[in-house]
Amino acid sequence: MTPDPRPPGMGSSRRDFVRQLGAGFGAVALGQLLARDQRDQPGRLDPKLLGRRPHHPPRARRVIQLFMNGGASQMDLFDHKPELFRRAGQPFDPGAGVRVEAPTSEPGKVLKPPFPMRQHGQSGRWVSDLLPHLAGCVDDLAFLMAMRSRTNVHGPASYLMNTGSLLPGFPAFGAWVSYALGSEADNLPGFVVLPDTKGLPYNQRGNFSAGFLPVAHQGTLVQAGAASPIPFLSPPASVPSVTTAASREGLELLQRWNQRHLEAQDPDSRLEARIQAYELAARMQLSAPEAFDLAAETPATRRLYGLERASSEDFGRRCLMARRLIERGVRFVQVWSGAGGPTGNWDNHGNIAKELPPMCLATDQPIAGLLHDLKARGLLEDTLVLWNTEFGRMPFAQSSEGRDHNGGTFVGWMAGAGVRPGVAHGESDEWSWKAARDVTTTYDFHATALHLLGLDHERLNLLHQGANRRLTDVHGEVIRAVLA
Amino acid sequence: MRLLTILLTWTGLALAASEPHWAYAPLRPGPVPVAAPASEPANPHPVDAFIRSALTAQGLEPAPEADRSTLLRRLHWDLVGLPPSPEDHRRFLADAGPLAYEREIDRLLASPRYGERWARHWMDAVHFAETHGHDQDRIREQAWPYRDYLVAAFNSDRPYARFIEEQVAGDVLHAGRPEATVALGMIAAGPWDESSLRDIREDTLDRQLGRYVDRDDMIGTVMSVFNSTTVQCARCHDHKFDPIPQADYYALQAVFSGVERAHRVFDQDPSVHARRQRWMRERRQAERGDPRLLEAPATRAEVTRWVRERQSHPVRWIPWDPQTFLSAAGAGLARLPDGSLRAGGLLPERDTYTLTRPAGVQSLRAVRAVQLEVLPDESLPHLGPGRNPQNGNLHLSEIELWVFRAGAPEAQRVRWARASASFDQDGWTAAHAIDGQEKTAWGIHPQEGQAHRAVFELAEPLEAKPGDQWSLVLRQAHGGSHLIGRFRVSMTDAPGSATRVVPPDIAGVVDRDPAGWTDDERRRVTWFVVRERLREQLAALPAPSRVYAAASDFEPDASLKPSLEPRVVHRLNRGEITQPREVVGPGTLSLVEALPARFDVPPGAEEGARRAALARWLAHPDNPLTWRSIVNRVWLHHFGRGLVNTPNDFGRMGERPSHPGLLDWLAVWFRDEAGGSMKALHRLLLTSATYRQCSQARGSGAALAADPDNRWLGRMNRLRLDAECVRDGMLRISGRLDLRMGGPGDRNFDLKPGIHVTPKVDYGLFDSDGPEGRRRSVYRFLFRTLPDPWMEALDCPAGDQLVPARDNSVTLQQALALWNHEFSLRQAGHWARALESEARPAFSTSPPGASPGSSGAGIDWDRIDWAGATLWVWGRPASEPERRELDQHARRHGLASACRLLFNSNEFLFVP
Repeated sequence: MTPDPRPPGMGSSRRDFVRQLGAGFGAVALGQLLARDQRDQPGRLDPKLLGRRPHHPPRARRVIQLFMNGGASQMDLFDHKPELFRRAGQPFDPGAGVRVEAPTSEPGKVLKPPFPMRQHGQSGRWVSDLLPHLAGCVDDLAFLMAMRSRTNVHGPASYLMNTGSLLPGFPAFGAWVSYALGSEADNLPGFVVLPDTKGLPYNQRGNFSAGFLPVAHQGTLVQAGAASPIPFLSPPASVPSVTTAASREGLELLQRWNQRHLEAQDPDSRLEARIQAYELAARMQLSAPEAFDLAAETPATRRLYGLERASSEDFGRRCLMARRLIERGVRFVQVWSGAGGPTGNWDNHGNIAKELPPMCLATDQPIAGLLHDLKARGLLEDTLVLWNTEFGRMPFAQSSEGRDHNGGTFVGWMAGAGVRPGVAHGESDEWSWKAARDVTTTYDFHATALHLLGLDHERLNLLHQGANRRLTDVHGEVIRAVLA
Repeated sequence: MRLLTILLTWTGLALAASEPHWAYAPLRPGPVPVAAPASEPANPHPVDAFIRSALTAQGLEPAPEADRSTLLRRLHWDLVGLPPSPEDHRRFLADAGPLAYEREIDRLLASPRYGERWARHWMDAVHFAETHGHDQDRIREQAWPYRDYLVAAFNSDRPYARFIEEQVAGDVLHAGRPEATVALGMIAAGPWDESSLRDIREDTLDRQLGRYVDRDDMIGTVMSVFNSTTVQCARCHDHKFDPIPQADYYALQAVFSGVERAHRVFDQDPSVHARRQRWMRERRQAERGDPRLLEAPATRAEVTRWVRERQSHPVRWIPWDPQTFLSAAGAGLARLPDGSLRAGGLLPERDTYTLTRPAGVQSLRAVRAVQLEVLPDESLPHLGPGRNPQNGNLHLSEIELWVFRAGAPEAQRVRWARASASFDQDGWTAAHAIDGQEKTAWGIHPQEGQAHRAVFELAEPLEAKPGDQWSLVLRQAHGGSHLIGRFRVSMTDAPGSATRVVPPDIAGVVDRDPAGWTDDERRRVTWFVVRERLREQLAALPAPSRVYAAASDFEPDASLKPSLEPRVVHRLNRGEITQPREVVGPGTLSLVEALPARFDVPPGAEEGARRAALARWLAHPDNPLTWRSIVNRVWLHHFGRGLVNTPNDFGRMGERPSHPGLLDWLAVWFRDEAGGSMKALHRLLLTSATYRQCSQARGSGAALAADPDNRWLGRMNRLRLDAECVRDGMLRISGRLDLRMGGPGDRNFDLKPGIHVTPKVDYGLFDSDGPEGRRRSVYRFLFRTLPDPWMEALDCPAGDQLVPARDNSVTLQQALALWNHEFSLRQAGHWARALESEARPAFSTSPPGASPGSSGAGIDWDRIDWAGATLWVWGRPASEPERRELDQHARRHGLASACRLLFNSNEFLFVP
C-alpha cells in the first residue's frame, strides 16, 4: 500500500477533514465521490499529489478510444506494401539468416492483401476499400504507422495497450486519466466502457480496472441496450416490495440518522461522503438514463452513425452513446469492437478475406459518423479520438489465408484535440513485418495522449509497492510529429 | 532521463554504503520505556509503554477507554469478522469479572470463524483467485484446498516460521505432511498467462518471456509478503533505491525455475501421501538417470531378482485359433495359412471383432496371458497393420475376454492385470486397451508398416472347464477407420514377469545373464525395471487429491510440461529477453548480512532444494525483515495503520517506522517469547490500552490538528467494515448465514461456456437465496477478470495484485450497491421475516409465507425487538426517538424497508 492513493478529499478521514476546513466541505465530499474535476479548487489538493493536476495547458479535455479487439491487420487496412504483391506466394525470407517465428503457427508463404488499397485525401493516405467512409476522413487523422508491442500474445499485449504493463493489476489508461483529471459530470462516472454486445474483450474487466488507484476510477461497464445501463441504479424487479415511496422516505430517515451520527463524532470526511453518496445516488437514478437514451437523436444523426443497417447498428449505437456521454462530462469513453475468443473480432487467423470485411463493415460508417458529428458540434476541438488495437498481423500466411499475431509493427491513429491532421508518423519495413523507422511504442503512444490532456507522463505517478508507478513504466517519449 | 537514473542509482548506492537502512539492520528491540508521569501504572503493558512514551514526546495524550459495547464490536469484527449478537452483548456486559475482556478474546480466538477471517487477509496479500486471469481466464478447479489450508493454519495457530516453510517448500521440508504440499498454493496463487505458457509455440521468444514474467510474479509475491521487499524493481537494472543488485533478482528467479503453476497431487492420508511422494520422487530420479537411485545396491538387487524370475519361466505362446470370427460392422475377416486373420472388404469407421472357440488351449493347464500380434500385409494401406487409409494406424479401444459357462445365464468377463506392447504410440498405450474406457486406445503411430505385439496378463489364471466357450472381443471405437487389418492371437501359462513385453532396447539383454551385461545395458534394464515397478506401485494407490500449486511433477497439459531439471536462468540485460547474459544460480537478497545470499545446492539436486533453501532463509531467526514484516501486518489489521504504513515495502521508498523501538520489540517478542504464535500476538495487541482507546480524541480539535494521520495513536482509528464483513454480517443478522466450512468455492454467478476458453459469467442471473449464496464470503469462488461487482464496490480485490491493506473507499457505486442490489434487499427481507416471526403473536392467523411488511397483517408492532435489531447493527439499543422512527417507517413501508435502512447506516458500516 502507498501512503495515500486516494484523490484529494478521499483520504484517511480526519487528516483531510482538517485540511479541508474552510474550503467548503460539502463540495469536497461531492467532488471525491465522482472524482470530480477540481482544477478550479487548487487550495484543496493534497500537496503530495500535486502532480495530479494538469502539468501544462491541455489541448484535449476528454477522450473517446475505439479499441479493435484481437489485433487489426495493418497491411490489409492502412500499411500499403507493394512487396507483398510482388512476392505473394513465395516463402517469407527477410534475409541475413534472420529467424522468423509466429506465435501460434508455422510461418507460411507471403500473403498479399486480398482487397485493393488506394490513396485518399490531400494527405494521400492509403486506405483499404474495406473502409470507404473512413477513407473520406484521412485528412483529419494522424496515423502512427510503426507502432510496436512487446509481445505477440493477446493477454499481455492487451494489458500492455490498456494499462502499460504486461501483467494484470495495473490501472487502465482511462483510470489514470480519471484519477488525474476527475470527471466533469455530476451524475456520471469519469471512465465509461462500452463493450461489444457479443461479450467482453480479452482480459475482460482486467483491461479497464483501477489497479491500485481508488476503485472510483475503474471503467464503469455500461451494457448498451440493458434495462439499467449503470449497475444497481434502481432496485431489481425481483424485489417488488421496495416501492418508490419506501425508498424516498427511507432515504430521508437514513440521512437523518447519518447526520446525527456524524455530528456526534470527531470529524470524518468518509461519514460525510457517504451522506453525499446517497443523495447523489438518488439524483443519478433520475438523470442517468437520459444519457443513454438515443431516442432523442434525429433520424439524420442515427443514419450518420449507421444505425439503420444491421451490420453496423451495434457499434454505431455505442459510438453515438459515447458522444452523448462526453457531452455530459464523462472524461474517458472506451468503445470496443469484438469480444474475446477466436471469431467475431479482429483476430483473423483463419481467413483474412472472409473474417476482416464484416469487422470493417461493422465499424467503418460509425467511426466516420462519429468524427463528422464531433466536428459538426465543435467537440472535436477538445476531444481526442483514438483508434487502437493490441498488435498487428504477419505479412505471411497462417495456414493459407489467415494471418498470425504480430507485435512487431501495427497501426493506430489519433484525431481531434491538438492532433496534427493528415500526418503519418513512422514506417514499417518493406513487408510490414517489423517497425523500421520512427517507431511508436505503446509507452510513446500513452505519453503522447497524456501530453494532449495536459499531463506529463513522468509526473503522473503514484508510489506503489516500492516504485513510482506510471502508465508508461520507465519508458515513453511524446511523439511531437503528431502534435498540431 | 538516463542521467537522472544514473544519479539516483549512484546516490542510492552511496546511501546504502554510508548508513544501513533501518529495515535491513539486525533487530534491535528498544528497552521498554519507563513511564515518566507518576499517574501511570508501575508495570504498564509493553505496547502502551512504547506508545505513551512517544505520545508524551509529541505532547499528546491517549484517549480514554472506549465503552464496553464498542470494545466488544471491535473484537468481534477484528477476530472473527462477524458482529456480536444481542445475546453476546448481554452476556459480555453482565460479566463484571476482571478478566471478562481477556476471556472474550480467548473465546473468539478459539472459534473456527477466526481462521476464516484471517485467511482472507492472507488471500489478499498473496493475490489468491481461482481463475488464471489474462485472455484465457480458465477456472482452476482445485485452487480451494489452499484456501482451506489457510483457514486451518490460522485456526491451529501454526507457528509463523513453519507457516513460511510450508508455503515455500512444504513438500520438501515437511514431506510427510499432506497439508504442507497444499500450502504451495501460495506460489501459484497469482495470475497465469495460459496463452503464452501453454498454447503458443514453445520455440518462441514469447514463451521464454512468459516464463520470466511468470516467475517474476512468484518471487514478487514471496518477497513482498514475507520480507516486505520490492525485488521486482531489480528486474531491469540494480534497484534504484534499495541495495538489491540485478544478480539477486535473477538468483531468486533461479529458485523458482523448476516449478510451474499446475494441479499437483497429494493424499489426505499421510501414509499414502508419503508413499506417493516418495515414489514420484524416485520416478523423477529414474527419468533423470540419477545414479543415486539407479546404482544403489538395493536397486541392483531388485533388477537381478526381476531378471532371474523372468528367466526361470520360459514362455511358450500357443496359437489360439477361433472357430468363429465376426466383424460387427460387416467387414470381411479371412483366415490366412499362418493362423492370422485379415480384414478386408467394407471399411467401416468403427468395428468390433468377436472371436470364439471352446475353452482351453492345447497343452496348457491354465491361461495367464493373451498375446495379440498385429501384422503388416500387402493388402493394407501403408502395409498396415491397421486399416486407416492415411497411415495404416489402428486403435484398439478395449480388449475383452469372456467365458460362456455351460448352463450359466450370463457370460463372465475375465479381469486383466496388466498390458504391455512392443511399441506404444505417444499417449495411446496398451494399458489404454484395458482401462474400461472406449475413448482411450492402443495405437502404433508412427511405426506403421511393421509387426507389433501386445500382451495382456490375466489377473487370475484361467482354467478351461469342459463345455465352456471363450470369446475374445476387440473393440475399435475411435473412428476414422482406425481398425486392425491383420492379427493373430496366442496364449500362454507363463507368469507376467516372463511374458511382459520389454522395449526393443533391452529385449535381447534381459534374456542374458546379468553378470555379462555392459554398464550401458545394465543402465537400460535398471531404468525399465524401476520405472515399471513405480508405475505399478503408483497405480495401486487410491485416487489422489489435487491442489493448484507450485509443481515440478504434474500431468502435462498441452505444451505445459514439467521440467526434469530447473531451467537455466540468465541475467537479462535491461530485463530484455533478447539480451541474456551470464547464467545465475539460486540465491536470494544479499542485503541481509547475517545470512549467505547464495544457496549451496549441489548439482543434480531436485529443484525443491532451492525452494527449501529460500524457505529456511526466510524463516531464519536472523532475517530481520521477516519478523518485522509479520508483526507490522498484524498490527495494521488491528489498528488500521501499520507501524510502517507501507507493509509491502520496507525499502527507502517506503515509510519509516513510526515506533522503531516498538516494532523491533514486537518482532523479537513474537519470534522468541511467543514462538511465532499469531494468537499470542493478537492477545498481546488487543489487551493493550492503546487498542482499547475510544476513537474520539481527547480534547478533539487540537489533538486532531496535532496528529491528523493518527500516527501516534492518541486515539483509535475508526475502521470501515470490509466487503466480507458487510456481506457476512448481513447474512448473520438476517439469520441466513450457513457456517459450513471448506470445500469448493461457491459460485455466486451463472456460468456458461464461453466462445473460447474463458467462460461466460453472469452475477445478475445468480439466485442469492440459493444454498451457494449463504456461506461466509471467504468460501466464494474468486473469478479474476470478472470479480463480483457488489464485493468490488466495497473494495474487495480481484486477485490481480498483491493487497496488503484494503482501500476503504466511499463511492457512489458502493452506495448504489448497498441500497439497491438484490443481495442487500433480500437480506433485509430475511431479517424482517425473522423479526416479524418473533413479534407475531402465537395465535396469528396470517398465512405462512406472506410477504413480510407488505401487509403487516397479524404483526404485533409493539413487540418488534428494535433494541435487539439495533444491537446487531449499531452495537447499542435504539434510543426512544430512533425506536419511534423505525416503528413509523416500518408501519408505513414494511419491516424489510426498515431493515434496509439499518444495513445502509453509517453506524453499521463504521466501527468506532
